[in-house]
This record gives sequence, C-alpha cells and structure tokens, in this order.
Amino acid sequence: MSAAAPAATDPVEPLDVDLVKRSQAGDTRAFDLLVTRYRSRIYAMTYHLIQNETEAWDLAQEAFIKAWRALPNFKLDAAFYTWLYRIAHNVTYDWLRKKKIQGDGEFDDERTEHRAMPGSRTAPQGFDAPDRAMKRQELGCRIQDAIARLSPDHRQAIVLREIEGLSYEEIAEMMKCSLGTVMSRLFYARKKLQEMLKDTYENPV
Amino acid sequence: MKTPSDENHDLIRWLDGEMTADERRTFEATLQNDPELAAEAESMRQLSESLKTHLPAEMPVPHADFFNSQIQVRIAQMDLDEAREREKAAASTASWFSWLRMPWLAGAAAAAAAFAIAGLVWTQNSSSGTSTIASTYTPNPAVHAQVFHSSDAQATVLMLDGLEPVPAEKKIVGFRVHRAESDAELATTTLFDENGAVLAVVAMNAKGQPTLLQ
Repeated sequence: MSAAAPAATDPVEPLDVDLVKRSQAGDTRAFDLLVTRYRSRIYAMTYHLIQNETEAWDLAQEAFIKAWRALPNFKLDAAFYTWLYRIAHNVTYDWLRKKKIQGDGEFDDERTEHRAMPGSRTAPQGFDAPDRAMKRQELGCRIQDAIARLSPDHRQAIVLREIEGLSYEEIAEMMKCSLGTVMSRLFYARKKLQEMLKDTYENPV
Repeated sequence: MKTPSDENHDLIRWLDGEMTADERRTFEATLQNDPELAAEAESMRQLSESLKTHLPAEMPVPHADFFNSQIQVRIAQMDLDEAREREKAAASTASWFSWLRMPWLAGAAAAAAAFAIAGLVWTQNSSSGTSTIASTYTPNPAVHAQVFHSSDAQATVLMLDGLEPVPAEKKIVGFRVHRAESDAELATTTLFDENGAVLAVVAMNAKGQPTLLQ
C-alpha cells in the first residue's frame, strides 16, 4: 500500500515512531509535527474524494483530531501513516454516506477551483515550452473535472487505486464491499472517465 | 463460459497487475486474437497513466498554519471538557457519599441495597484525586459498609451488607442523576425499575438537605 510510504528519512527529522510515542504521552508539539508532515497527503485524499475545498479541509482536520483521540490505542503495529490514512478515509466515507442519505448526491455545484500546487508531484518535470505546459495544466484540470463528475463510490475506488495504489483487497476493506464490487466500480468508473476524457487521451499531450 | 462481467473484471485485473502469472499469460494471448479488446485495454492503460500523472497525491492545505493551530486548540478544548466532566463526576460522587451519612436514608436503605449489590461503581478522577472516601457511616448498626478501590480500574465499589431484601416489585435496576446547570451540587436522583418506572426521587431542598420526593 503506497499509503504506508512516507516517514522521516532526513536524519535530523524525528522518526514517526518517536513522534507517535511522544504524542501518546500527551506531547501536543510532537503531534503538531506529525500533522505538518502528513497534512498535505491527507488533505489531497479528502479533497479528491469530495471535491470541495472547505469540506475537505474540515474533514482532514477531523481525521487528525480522531487520530489524536485514538492514539492511546495505537500499538505501533502498522506505519503511522497507514493508520492515519484509514482514519481519514473512514471520516470521509462516513461523511459521504451521510450526504448520500440526505440525498445530496453529487457535489458539482459546490466545487471549488482548487488545483495542485506548483512544484507538487503532479507539476511538470523539467522545462516545458509554454504551450506544452499550458496543455498539461489544461489536461490536469479536465481530469479533475471528470473525477468530480463520478459518483462518490466510483470516485473512491479510482482514488484509492490510482492515487494511493491500494490493492483490491485493501479497497474492499476500506469501502466495506466485496472484491467483485471493487472490480465493477473500477471498471465502470474508468469507462465513464474514458467517455468524459475521450478527446484528451486520444490526443495525448 | 465467461460473462461480460467476468471479461470486464479480467481487463481491469490485468491493467492493475492483480492477475497471477498464468492468468496474465492467458489474458494476453486473448488480447492477441481480439483487436477490439486489445484497443480497449490500451485505451484504459493510457487513462490510468494520465490519472496517475495528473492527480496529486499531495496538495497544499489552505491556511496551513491555521489548520495546525486549530487542531491544537481543539485538543486543548477536549482536554478541558474532559477535566470538567471528571470534576462533575467527582462532585456527584461526593454528594452521594454525603447523603449516605444522612439519617433519612435509613428508610431507603433497602432500596439502596439493590444497586449496591448489583455493583454500584463510582468512577474516580485519578488525576485530581477529588473523590477519596475517608470513612463511611450507616445509621443502622446492622448494616456494614465496605469500600473497595482499584487505582488500575479507576473505580470505587461500595458494598452494603446486612440490609433487608428488597421486595421483588421494588427491584431497582438503575439510577439516573440529573444535575442543575448552574450548580453541580443541585442534583436530583431517580431510582427506576426494569420497566423504567420511577421508584424513588431524591433531591436537595432549599436548605440543602436531601429530600425523598417520591
């Protein structure tokens, strides 16, 4: 699971496990460092899933609060980020479920124009010609828009697979559904994206 | 025979690298003989690459400093709320023990036995230590009170021996404490049976004395 990946690799930076132990002892400054370390990834996940900047911000914060409260029970038997990621996903999943029950359906009307920061993993590598860079940016926007138009279930399946690199079993566990359902959701999500991005990937940048 | 659903699943399992080596060889052989399926597979592969390239795994949090500081504020607030709850619980415990000293309770001792025997547990505030029981007093000398405290469990259990059996129709299965919002000491305690029917209500009167209301 790629969600398990990052931890401090800089020898000067404290390791996750040390920060977690200090946090478990009540050190809120250590927890603040963990928040700073993982807030961008957690926020990206909540944003991709609900496509609303304000709600994503609140849900990311809620995930960290829940993590703080659950820390005494965290046995360090998994990577901190993996554990945190599951909490964040559950928080977002519950939010989506409540939205669905309330009949709010899609969130297109509430969408904001949040885009990836320059220099993030998605930013073009090297020096592109201006027209090429613009096309890349345009392609990124079109993909974001297409993702936003998927149903919440299809969006979740795609985000968990394509961005976080989770296995089918991990996705099934997170989404509380069968492997067959995971495969169906991934297939139909991709078919819909194909349709929406037809022009784009037939003429790749 | 494979259903369309099976074929769809094969396609994405191949795309996502979820096939065994044998399954992969078989599926790729199928692709060789099915140009339409091969075109679909290639189209989906390109889409998958585009998604991986253009969906960021990290995004800058708007107002990042505020994001962090708000979390710290909320944690501090939670700690404060929990401390207040513990103080309220301790105050409630203190009230109960002071009431146990009152002569009026002799009449209601039988009722008290039911939930004492059931294991009435007062949680203690281990950090503030405000609910230590220094002594117990029972108006009826035939009644013997014992207090058991466990620091590990953060709990105190009061046992009352020597009380008369409670009539079956008066079986108390629980109690509920209602505190006044303005003063935690101003509490009304309701004893109820298994059907939720109220058996007794105890409250403080204007002079601060416990009074049996029902």
